[in-house]
Amino acid sequence: MRWGWLAIAVALLLYPWILTGPFYERMGADLLLAAIAAAAWNILGGYAGQISVGHAVFYGIGAYVPLLVYTHWQLPPVLGIPAGILVSLAVAAVIGVPTFRLQGHYFSMATIAVAELVRIVVGNWDFVGAAIGLMGPAVPRSLLDLSFKSAVPYYYIFLAVLAAILALTAHLERGRMGYYWRAIRAGERAARSLGVPVRRYKLWALLLSAGFTSLAGSLYALMVGFVDPESAFGILVSVEMIITAALGGVGTLLGPLLGAAILVPLKATTNSLFGGGGSGLTYILYGGIILLLARFEPGGLIELSRRIATRSLKKAKARAA
Amino acid sequence: MLLEAHQVSRAFGSFLALSGAELELAEGEIVGLIGPNGAGKSTFFNCLSGDLQPTSGRILFAGSEVTRATPEAHARLGIGRTFQVPATFEEMSILDNVMVGAFLRHPARGEAREAARRIVEFAGLDRLRDQPARSLGTPGRKRLEIARVLASEPRLILLDEALAGLNPVEIQEAIALVRRIHARGITLVIVEHIMEVILSLTGRVLVFNQGRTIASGKPRDIVDHPAVIEAYLGQRRQRRRRE
Ligand SMILES: Nc1ncnc2c1ncn2[C@@H]1O[C@H](COP(=O)(O)OP(=O)(O)O)[C@@H](O)[C@H]1O
Ligand SMILES: [Mg+2]
Repeated sequence: MRWGWLAIAVALLLYPWILTGPFYERMGADLLLAAIAAAAWNILGGYAGQISVGHAVFYGIGAYVPLLVYTHWQLPPVLGIPAGILVSLAVAAVIGVPTFRLQGHYFSMATIAVAELVRIVVGNWDFVGAAIGLMGPAVPRSLLDLSFKSAVPYYYIFLAVLAAILALTAHLERGRMGYYWRAIRAGERAARSLGVPVRRYKLWALLLSAGFTSLAGSLYALMVGFVDPESAFGILVSVEMIITAALGGVGTLLGPLLGAAILVPLKATTNSLFGGGGSGLTYILYGGIILLLARFEPGGLIELSRRIATRSLKKAKARAA
Repeated sequence: MLLEAHQVSRAFGSFLALSGAELELAEGEIVGLIGPNGAGKSTFFNCLSGDLQPTSGRILFAGSEVTRATPEAHARLGIGRTFQVPATFEEMSILDNVMVGAFLRHPARGEAREAARRIVEFAGLDRLRDQPARSLGTPGRKRLEIARVLASEPRLILLDEALAGLNPVEIQEAIALVRRIHARGITLVIVEHIMEVILSLTGRVLVFNQGRTIASGKPRDIVDHPAVIEAYLGQRRQRRRRE
């Protein structure tokens, strides 16, 4: 297991040297960004089992605030990152208290409703650019603007952020927090009977998840230098986080990265084959993945590989006997 | 008194599932709670563990009022329970299930793990420690629930049909386990249909019917109590007489 992580780390560090050129560099950065967002979603949706379909709210806030501080006050967009996180945490706390009263599908539906409401409000609010959206600095004024032509600097920034999130998640997973989250996912009633303060631990998961999702949105805005209501607050943003985590394996450390490593190249390929019109195809692709996961392997690819491994182990044992 | 429940009632809509239940429990007792299906036994447990709020009545635990406290507050105070339909954490290993309970008194992972290991061994589950809970059958799940609640170090455990569905050998093992739990100084209330279990474990029995206590006393006397025979054993005895 430790060697597996080391191999992944080495591969990710070397990637920009192996696959060069703008297409692969951008794809690598997109991959890491998708992994960050999915890892952030995974804390609440995977470990704590509260399936949010509204994480675009936090992603959107994270994406908008850096460009907002630039547009209105000419500040470097990076300064908007902590501000965006603070706004996301406040919004998370406000949303979390009432929605956590709901269970299962009702919770998921409430999160969709909140996210769509926010998207519509943002699309009609002139201060945040309404339907047009916001732009970052056209030419970097200083290094602080973190505006690079190549995707490689972003790639390494994203890699550092992903490593930090996974390290923190791994730490929490092993401790009381991780156990309580999994107990809540498995059964709130039983968890409470054992003294698990369910509301508090769900809120912790939501705050961590929202903060990191906000960070992911900010990183997206820094790289792309442009946001609009659909790309930041659209339902597809939330759906992508879910599918990425679910394809790899919800509630697992490696799942989000694994899902991103498959989904992002797939999407890049279909987009380059079918041009911008590939977005319709994206929906079909996502629908197909959801169907396959629901029908054959709700645990995702990690569970699938685990099952294959134990089966071949059993076969080997049977042959030996 | 460790636990005092006064005139505890619970309605579901207009239906009174529990009406004026009374229970006084001294530390160190094992009390049996019997009655036909639908008598309100599980509803009573749900009220005593904070899972359901009583419509009226008062519940005191170790002298302080817990009538409207949350289930997690009940657990913290020392009231533990198992569920009639086992509610184990299916995807988690047996040890991890027990660790969830152990974290209540041992916030540090290492200590929780140690405490959970001891309990798993105590409950005779150490051989299966790393198996997921879903690999267990109903008897195993019930045993795991007992281990899990034990790990939360309660003063009182409410066992809701924890021995139902066990074969005769498993029943004897479970009786021995309950005795060893009792020997640790833990007070127990046991809902059970099997008379053998009630007779061999409890010092006192309460009989519920239609949400009320219809009799209480020593297990031997209860078996011959006319109201109990009527409500609970009647059908079976009559059947036997006919045969
Ligand atoms: N959540 C509930 N909603 C409505 N009715 C309930 C609920 N829980 C229990 N009841 C009813 O209350 C009565 C007592 O149930 P219960 O306490 O489970 O009985 P016992 O455990 O003695 O078999 C039954 O008639 C049952 O249908
Ligand atoms: Mg019952």
